[in-house]
Amino acid sequence: MKFLVVDDSATMRRIVINSLQRIGFHDTVEAGDGQEALAKFDSTIKFIITDWNMPNMTGTEFTKVLRSRDDGRQVPVLMVTARSVKEDILTAMEAGVNNYIVKPFTPQVLKEKIDALLPAAAA
Amino acid sequence: MPSARAHEVLYESEAALRLVDQELTGLHDVRDVGPSVPTISLADLPNILEQANAQILNVLARLRESRAALQTTALERLQTTHEKIREVTTATEDAAINIMDACDRATQMVDELDTIDSDVAPDREKAAGIRATLRDELFLMMGALQFQDITSQQLAHASSVLIDMEERLLEVARLFDHNTDETHVSFAGSAPDERTFDPNATTRNAEGRQALADELFTSVKVPAA
Repeated sequence: MKFLVVDDSATMRRIVINSLQRIGFHDTVEAGDGQEALAKFDSTIKFIITDWNMPNMTGTEFTKVLRSRDDGRQVPVLMVTARSVKEDILTAMEAGVNNYIVKPFTPQVLKEKIDALLPAAAA
Repeated sequence: MPSARAHEVLYESEAALRLVDQELTGLHDVRDVGPSVPTISLADLPNILEQANAQILNVLARLRESRAALQTTALERLQTTHEKIREVTTATEDAAINIMDACDRATQMVDELDTIDSDVAPDREKAAGIRATLRDELFLMMGALQFQDITSQQLAHASSVLIDMEERLLEVARLFDHNTDETHVSFAGSAPDERTFDPNATTRNAEGRQALADELFTSVKVPAA
């Protein structure tokens, strides 16, 4: 299963990708912001992990655009962000995010969220 | 006082200063012209002075209000920034200690593996267990580096507050010296993009914040986007 990991922090992309490899997912694509993610998104991407705060196009903006596309309606989007006030979480939900991880996160939390969304990714 | 109000007060203060300047210029012109070509009578002078006095009092009142606005908004934001910078120091130190602890544990495990390896009949099963734990430790070290992303957001926020303060102080300086812009090098152009950081980013209470997100995702049903 191919993952698209979107974060403007190279450190965070490496941490997320290493976490994915550790739980058995080795096929990953990276993007530094929402615009780059849209350019790299195609039908082979089955799961998206995105940050919120990024230059050019934020994670919520990216998710909204993705959800407006025929090929992006169903792909699971997991947001991993430092934003954690209630209004932000609701905004992410409205944008079409499927689940939410607050930074700093543990590998266990990442695994739980991915496992919960895997049936949708496999569909 | 909200920043919009502070801006309004500064604007009014400047306008009042200009009025006083105008009055004083008028008086100056009268004096320069001299008694031989009087444009106003001496009898008008008390009235003009009274008007100037009223304007000066108005300016002083506005300046007092400006000072109060700056004290309230600027000090609050600077205090928040100060707290953020302190948190950066703490988060950096915590991460460094966590990584050093993990390094110590990893070094011990490597020593144990050396001991097992030097045995005549090495315990392969035990060694495999230690290697698995060692991998966990290395992985935890990597996870501890998440502080870098959060502290960089906190520093970006602090930087944006300082640049905002700089602009506010410049507005005050311009009231007294219109040449301020010529001598000042502004950092406004290098302000961090507000989309790239969360002003509330923190390394604290991750479990509690995750629990809130989980609760909302479980309880709130949002229509599909």
